Amino acid sequence: MNNPLTKLQALGLGALSVVIGLFVWELCATQFSDFILPSPLSVFAQFFDPVFAPRLFKAITGSLVQLGLGFTLALLIAVPLGTLLGRSDTLYRMFNPVINAIYAIPPVAMVPFLIIWFGLFLESRVALVFLMCFFDILVVIIAGSRDVRTSWIDVGRSFGGSRYYCLRHIVFPALTPFLFAALRVGSARAINGMITAELFFAAVNLGQLLKRSTQAFDASAALAVVMTVCLMGLLAQSIIHMLERRLLHWHLRR
Amino acid sequence: MKTLKNALLPLIGFALVLGLWEVVGRSLGESLFAPASSVFAKYIEMLREGTMLKELFISLRQMLLGFSLACVIGMPMGIAMGRSNISDAMLRPWVSIFVVTSTAALIPILIMILGTGLTLRSTVVFLAAVWYIVLTTYNGAKGISPELLAVGRSFSANNTQIFWKIILPALYPYLITGARIGLIHAIRAMVMAEMFVIVGYGALINQSGMEINTSALLSLLLTLAFVSLIANALLSQWGKHLAPWYEQQRQIL
Repeated sequence: MNNPLTKLQALGLGALSVVIGLFVWELCATQFSDFILPSPLSVFAQFFDPVFAPRLFKAITGSLVQLGLGFTLALLIAVPLGTLLGRSDTLYRMFNPVINAIYAIPPVAMVPFLIIWFGLFLESRVALVFLMCFFDILVVIIAGSRDVRTSWIDVGRSFGGSRYYCLRHIVFPALTPFLFAALRVGSARAINGMITAELFFAAVNLGQLLKRSTQAFDASAALAVVMTVCLMGLLAQSIIHMLERRLLHWHLRR
Repeated sequence: MKTLKNALLPLIGFALVLGLWEVVGRSLGESLFAPASSVFAKYIEMLREGTMLKELFISLRQMLLGFSLACVIGMPMGIAMGRSNISDAMLRPWVSIFVVTSTAALIPILIMILGTGLTLRSTVVFLAAVWYIVLTTYNGAKGISPELLAVGRSFSANNTQIFWKIILPALYPYLITGARIGLIHAIRAMVMAEMFVIVGYGALINQSGMEINTSALLSLLLTLAFVSLIANALLSQWGKHLAPWYEQQRQIL
């Protein structure tokens, strides 16, 4: 414990652990039939399969549409609303319990409602992505805007800054670290919502590919789809992390 | 005066939302969005009839199986990652891979392997909850102040004593928070798995959706919200009881 690892050592150990994991998977796979547990090699081979790969690519682009729409919509509503609720003490006290109560309802349980309101296609998928990430973003933004130190705003006011000026030049910059936290949580939830929607409503895109592969007992194709979803999540996280490091170099993350 | 205002504001908030719900419900109609009054009547009726609560308890019992497993495995794993750099480096890639993997995507594959029974549901709940428990515990274990350990060492405590008397108590708040976050995900996963294979409480939700019975649907959702809020409140009470110094510390800071 007491000797901290260098970055290189940590990276090496991580890589080693992934290699060991894949090796164990390969060993286990030889014990089971391909229907249940395919070997990692056959899953990777799916990404280069001339029939499967184009289908996968098309499914990804389709899935990204509802992901983008739902996530953008959630951000556009949750960020201003969260700032408003966080900055006004009265509004916060009034609506925070209600928001907690709604947040406690699993979004998937809303699926029957979404079917009644929006049908089975794009609209309801966008709605589910929206619901899955909206409250997570809202909660982080509310916490963030309540966290802005009053002394900072007092400084702004004593230099004659108007309410708008303080919001624009003090609250928003102080909020950006939380905005990135909201993006991280929200994007993971939105990707989760994307694949959930495709499985629970009419099966399309990645969800359809996944369902069809499992129905055909093609476990390696199914795992390739799951891996794609997982990679999308990892990619989103690292893009956000990169942006955060570039834009928020002044803010030290604990 | 101020405390009275603070106590009244949440009530006003709830009243406003209920009022809005009633108005929207009345104008949209029973088949799109049942108004609060008819949901209330339906709720009483469903409580009397008993199926809702019976299914809820069966589902919750099964959910607790996966959730306790997630705690039993996730908490030690988080502590190990937080206290040892080597296990941190080895386990971190797996945790960051699995925490972004959506459990929904795993369900079809798990059905192939495990069937649609209790094992499937417990596994889904476990997979949904365990990574959040690991990460919260990890953050707690990583942040234990070295001074506390140094005090232990200077009083010549051995490693076992340091673990039970210093590390573990310092982790209580994080273990409780981890359990709270994990439980939220566990309840979500329970409902998702049940709606996917159409059993238990999830089946009730599906069914009322099919019948376009929105007052029953909203009653079922309300019960879920209650369960989640009550479990959360109980856990945080327990946390305050276990680690009373934590809350005080936060108030001072």
